[in-house]
Amino acid sequence: MDGCLSLAGQIPAAPSRELAAGEEERLIHQAQRGDRAAFDALVRLYDKQVLRLVLKVVQSPDEARDLYQEVFLKVYRSLGRFRFEARFSTWLYRVVMNVCYDHLRRQRSREEVQGPTTEDDQPEYFHTVADDKPEGDPERTLHSREIRQRIQRALGRLGPRERMVFELRHFQGLKLRAIGELCGTSEETAKNSLFRATQKLRLELSDLV
Amino acid sequence: MSCKEFEERLTLGQYDELSGEDRAALDAHLETCSACRAYVEQAKKLRALLSERPSSEPSPELLAQCRMALDEAIDRELSQVSWKKLFRELWAGMTVLPATRVSWALAVLLFGFGLGWTLRPHVNLTPAGGGTNIPTQAGVATPDMSNMRINAITQVEPSPEKGQVRITVDAERRMTLQGSLDDPHIRKVLVDALRSYSNAGIRRDSLDALQEADGNHPSVRDALLYALENDPNPGVRLEALRTVRRMTWTPEVQKALTHAIAPGNNPGVRVAALDVLVEHANQTTLPMLQRLASDDSNPYVRMKSLNAVRKLEGEVSGELR
Repeated sequence: MDGCLSLAGQIPAAPSRELAAGEEERLIHQAQRGDRAAFDALVRLYDKQVLRLVLKVVQSPDEARDLYQEVFLKVYRSLGRFRFEARFSTWLYRVVMNVCYDHLRRQRSREEVQGPTTEDDQPEYFHTVADDKPEGDPERTLHSREIRQRIQRALGRLGPRERMVFELRHFQGLKLRAIGELCGTSEETAKNSLFRATQKLRLELSDLV
Repeated sequence: MSCKEFEERLTLGQYDELSGEDRAALDAHLETCSACRAYVEQAKKLRALLSERPSSEPSPELLAQCRMALDEAIDRELSQVSWKKLFRELWAGMTVLPATRVSWALAVLLFGFGLGWTLRPHVNLTPAGGGTNIPTQAGVATPDMSNMRINAITQVEPSPEKGQVRITVDAERRMTLQGSLDDPHIRKVLVDALRSYSNAGIRRDSLDALQEADGNHPSVRDALLYALENDPNPGVRLEALRTVRRMTWTPEVQKALTHAIAPGNNPGVRVAALDVLVEHANQTTLPMLQRLASDDSNPYVRMKSLNAVRKLEGEVSGELR
């Protein structure tokens, strides 16, 4: 299991800041005994990375906030059952995967009922990221923005599993073996999902490539 | 290797997921197949195109909002759990004898019946000093609100009917008021709750309800600005800010935002307030933005303020030319 996340590229197997040996384990034990401060400290070790990942999946700050909350409430409720059989990060990211996957499935069934969204319904992506880029050429900015919207729409048309596998491999840099473990599936299935996702994106964006 | 197999393996190869043997087979096929060479070019372009998607680094504001919302959700969870735990312990604490349990159940039933009889609905509620007094308003709220004395608010929630709100209060007995947000008495309960209620959850729910009301109504407007400046809970201040953002821009709005951005305030609230101030940046906000750009301890605040200052100064020099 450890081997799995040591391959995990940009998704950290370790928390976002360095911890003294055993500190994470101590925090988990304290949180399991109901220590709220320890739980908060544990959340703060990982929550930025979790939020970054859910933002990739939903692209809307409101939805990201909901998913963030769903993830950590699930962790809060089930932390007592964590038995240190896997790394905490592996366990946490499995929760993240399940929450994102369920969200994408719900979203897909809603879209099937409501029909496609219009151009005006584009996600408020630009409110979700830190505004750290200087303003450049407006025409180029507009063009880039249109391309990003096209990419976002194309990603939105992938199936939930294809989307998760593609996000994790292409944007987060996880190895397919690790993705298979996190998503509760085999490496082979993850490979197939990645291939299907790439093919669909190629078709959707064919006029741009 | 067929072209179909090539396409599949190329995808894996692009992500460095191929063995050396498979990679060699890929190269061999590529040397003999011009169609697949074109496919490779297209695949490279697709990867380059996908890199146009920016990295989604969450803003400090969003992270702060998430943390606060989680804190509140866990608080709610804990309060529910403690009630459940109390009942479980009470039940478990009784002797295991079934007869004792039956006696307790009967006692609880009788107590509930007695309480219900004592607190049965009265047509006219008499004021009893203290609390929030609601003057007469015919036909809006479900119960008679004549001079009702409210001791506590236990829940505020939107009603399924659009533009309506339900407020559960403890007056002489627990009851639910339902009425339109255009009703001044309903507004008064919500405004009072937002300004002075001790429970942050109720303040937040009142705020949510008031967001549907006319934000430019003086009492609503004042309450929202008050919440933005003074509410002790950063989550409530942030939510108030969202509504204030949609208000007509006035010196009072600017003052409340300036207050919200003061050093020492919650970083999430500061960043959100700065975003609104920058949207409305003008010559009156320039000195404050200059100060933030040069002195503020938060790098995001400095950078955002500096951008706004540059933009404002550029506009001024453009006008002079």
